[in-house]
Formats: sequence, structure tokens, C-alpha cells
Amino acid sequence: MDKFLFNPIRLKIMSSLINKSQCDFNYLKKVTESTQGNLSVQLKKLKEEKYIEIEKTFSNNYPKTSCSITENGRIQFEEFFKNLIKMKNS
Amino acid sequence: MMNTAEKQIVTINNVINSTKENLKPLSINFIFWGIYVNILSGFHYAFPSLVQSSKYSAAIYWIILSIIGMLFMAYYNVKVRKTVGYETHLSRVIKIIWGVFGVSWIYIIILSFYLKNYHPVPPILFLLSLLTIMTGLIIKFKPVTLGGIFLTLFTFYLNFNPEINLLLVNIVGVSLGMLVPGLSLFYSKSSNNPDG
Repeated sequence: MDKFLFNPIRLKIMSSLINKSQCDFNYLKKVTESTQGNLSVQLKKLKEEKYIEIEKTFSNNYPKTSCSITENGRIQFEEFFKNLIKMKNS
Repeated sequence: MMNTAEKQIVTINNVINSTKENLKPLSINFIFWGIYVNILSGFHYAFPSLVQSSKYSAAIYWIILSIIGMLFMAYYNVKVRKTVGYETHLSRVIKIIWGVFGVSWIYIIILSFYLKNYHPVPPILFLLSLLTIMTGLIIKFKPVTLGGIFLTLFTFYLNFNPEINLLLVNIVGVSLGMLVPGLSLFYSKSSNNPDG
């Protein structure tokens, strides 16, 4: 079982990205109900594990962060979800 | 541990279910193009001497005004995307197929400059009909699919009746293939969710 996704913020980020091609930082902040700093840390960890990709751009002179799930992230998340179902049913 | 697993599943479900597949912006796109192309065709039909005052004036009229329309809708779509904060796989697919239509439209118009007796309206309407069917099937909304099917049949009929005024063809085709399905999607209860 992937312990990495037991963190609630990371799990919410992955759950949000699984059915979307891209999510903005502010949207993820709203979904995860976390602080800007905490969300940044968790996004960095997910990126280091190659679960997500982060794209930084500028829009009207403001930095904009967009995230998307990687193929590895998708596989890990699906595996994690299957294991949760197994645990629930056991 | 089982309790934790249940909590995690609930969290995942809640986050996934919070995604709304808002189809209102798509309906705005259909309505805009339905009205805009009708105005352009109507003006061309009412004032042919003005639009066709020189050799390339009609082509320039259609290209410039259509590109203005494309830029306006691109701006609207980018604004909607920024407000929502995410892009679903569905909206990405729709964005790609209509982007391909835009490129194909430019290709057909350029081709019509170089080929004699090649009118761009029938191939554009045919392409439009196919993409409308595809969009209707992807979003699972029958009026849009039916609009596309109607447009396909209409384009087929057009090939056997070349004497028909193509501007009137444009008006009928775009009204029934885009405007009516667009309005139907706009007022549909399921425009917030294709499965709803």
C-alpha cells in the first residue's frame, strides 16, 4: 500500500487531478482547504515522486502555477484506490 | 485501518464529485457562431455589390471578420478557463477538435483562392457537420448530434443542387446545425453535467 498518498492534502490533490487535464494552484488551494505554503510543499513532494507535473507561467505579470497528473501518478493513484477498496471489503 | 480506508474513499469521491462539467460556455460558442455567421451571410446576401466590390473583397470580408470572431471567442474561452480554475478531459477534447476546425477552415479558404470554381461553403459546412456530430456524441447531448446529422444531409443535398444560393444555404445550415442546438444546450438542465 502506497503510504505516500495517505497524506490528506496529497490525496485531495491527486483526486482532483485524476479527472482533469490541468488544475490551477488557486483551485487546488480551495479543494484541499490548505494554506499556500503547505500546498506548495505537498505539490513539490508529488513532483519529486513524479506523480504530477508543474507548469509555471506568467499571466498579466502574475506567476501562475498549473498542475497535471503524470502517467506514473495515474497508475499509483489507481493502485492506491484498488487497495483501499480491498481493505474496506476485507 | 478499515475505517481509515473508508474515510479515504469518501475523500476521493467528494473531490471527484466536486468537478462540474459546465457546458454553458460550449453552448455560448455555438450560439455566437450561429448568430455571427448568419449576420455575415445576411449582410453579404443583402449587399452583394458592396461585399463583392473588387476581385478579392468577398474573400477578405469573410476571412477578416471570421478571424475577428475566432479571436473574440478565443478570448472568451480563455477567460472562462481562468475563472473555473481547471480544465477537464472533456473540455480539452472539445477545444482540440474545434481548434482543428479553425485550422481546416483557413486551409479551405486559402485553397479557394487558388482553385477556380472551388466554393469553400460546401466543404466547410461538411466539416462543420462532422465536428458537430462528434461534439454531440462526446457530450452526450442529442440535439447537437441531430443538428450535425441534419447539416450532413443538407451538405449532401447541396452537392446535387449547385444552383442554390450558397449564402442562403449558409444561413439555413448554420441556424439548424449550430444556433438551434446551441440554444437547446444553453437552456438544457443537463448543461452543467453531460450525464445529468
